[in-house]
Amino acid sequence: MSTELDWNKLSPLAIWRDWLVKSETQWSESLTALLKDPQASSLVKRQVDEMRMAHRQFSEVAQASLAAANLPSRNDFEALDERLGRLEDGLAHVTAQLSLLREAMVSTGAIPPAAKPARNRKPTVAKKV
Amino acid sequence: MNKQSPVQLQSADSPVLRALAASGLPTEEFSQMTGPLGATPKETIYAQGTLKLQHFKPLADSVYRVPVLIVTSLVNQPYILDLVPGQSMVEHLLRQGFDVYMIEWGRPRREHATLKLEDYVLDRLPRCVERVLEHAGESELSIIGYCVGGLLSVLYAALHPETPLKNLVCMATPVNGDGLESLKAWMAPDFDEEALIEQYGNVPAEWVQNTLRALRPFGKLAGAMSLLNQIDNAEVVRSNLRMGRWETDNVPFPGGVFRQMVNDFLRANKLVRDEWVLGGKRVSLSNIRMSLLHLLAQDDHITPYASSRDLVPMAGSRDKQELIIKGGHVGLVAGRGAQTRMWPALEAWLAPRSV
Repeated sequence: MSTELDWNKLSPLAIWRDWLVKSETQWSESLTALLKDPQASSLVKRQVDEMRMAHRQFSEVAQASLAAANLPSRNDFEALDERLGRLEDGLAHVTAQLSLLREAMVSTGAIPPAAKPARNRKPTVAKKV
Repeated sequence: MNKQSPVQLQSADSPVLRALAASGLPTEEFSQMTGPLGATPKETIYAQGTLKLQHFKPLADSVYRVPVLIVTSLVNQPYILDLVPGQSMVEHLLRQGFDVYMIEWGRPRREHATLKLEDYVLDRLPRCVERVLEHAGESELSIIGYCVGGLLSVLYAALHPETPLKNLVCMATPVNGDGLESLKAWMAPDFDEEALIEQYGNVPAEWVQNTLRALRPFGKLAGAMSLLNQIDNAEVVRSNLRMGRWETDNVPFPGGVFRQMVNDFLRANKLVRDEWVLGGKRVSLSNIRMSLLHLLAQDDHITPYASSRDLVPMAGSRDKQELIIKGGHVGLVAGRGAQTRMWPALEAWLAPRSV
């Protein structure tokens, strides 16, 4: 409805959001420029180290607590994820082997080849870009 | 085409449902709104570890002689190039008559933490090239590499001067570590990458995601605000949700590759200095002699122009071109602008070179 559209255009929130979007590049560029400063970079590195250590400490505490409560920890889920990943890879390997087997059977004439498009297509644009 | 009808949420009292209904949007779950991602029909024709080489089912009556192999990034999910029908570079290429293959590197596990660039560009990628040629029954192919996948393709092309590679298309591919100013500053020599690798094996996906976000700190906020202003356009919302889902679906960075990227690519900037040695071979961009196209995004905050502009001038190809296209790093390949700008430009360049 046109009235809704007009109202939306006049909405102070929409106008503010529009301004924010338009000025975002400058805000982001200013902050990244600040972060390129060697001192700020040291701060970033320190934060990274702190977060890494905190993550390790928290993981150890959480794992012990969860084990005591007979609950799986993030490590258990990651181990499960790795096992599922290995299974998925195994299945992909079998699929790839089947693809090779099918090609071998086609080459020996054991099965008919699947219909494939002809590899003779010509571009409609004659001139190279 | 996906014929799945969206599943309606049962609970009429859901505040999410009410908000969607009030905005005039269909009351679907967010996961249903994005649709199944990366759903173009494909077949796995080669697998090695976590790697899968996919062959997409052709969508044209005839295809160009030269097959196309897409090399995806190591740190992002490959489905950004095949989001949904109508928003898929892969689908576009298939409809235009290309025979398309794609390398999906997969999620590295702890056991893959020692993988190095050599494993990718001297072993896995050449094996995929061999398999593509065997499967297509051709002697040449084209490679399209995106972001880190573009860098892997460049390294492969530079290390294999006798390659069957006929055309190389790089999209938003960094070659100059000095141009990645923020990353270089954050990973200066006192950054302890070894501690990170020692603790996690592979660099966790959350770290990759946070680092990429920090390159444009207010980008996410601006994206959310922009979305609110376009909430009455359901297709924009869907497209945004798809991209958002992809952006938060990073893949861990293999530890060994991360070490090389930090030390050799970022800090020492060995590639453009002709000093990078991989597997005992020196990587020289002047060894790239096939037809080369580099597609760049005008407002790319992840691969800024300073990091990518040296590829075309330094490559030894006689037939080479750089195209700068309006948009950002992700919008270059999957945004609404990609459909009208990048995909047609890619097709116009690649088609006459694929016969």
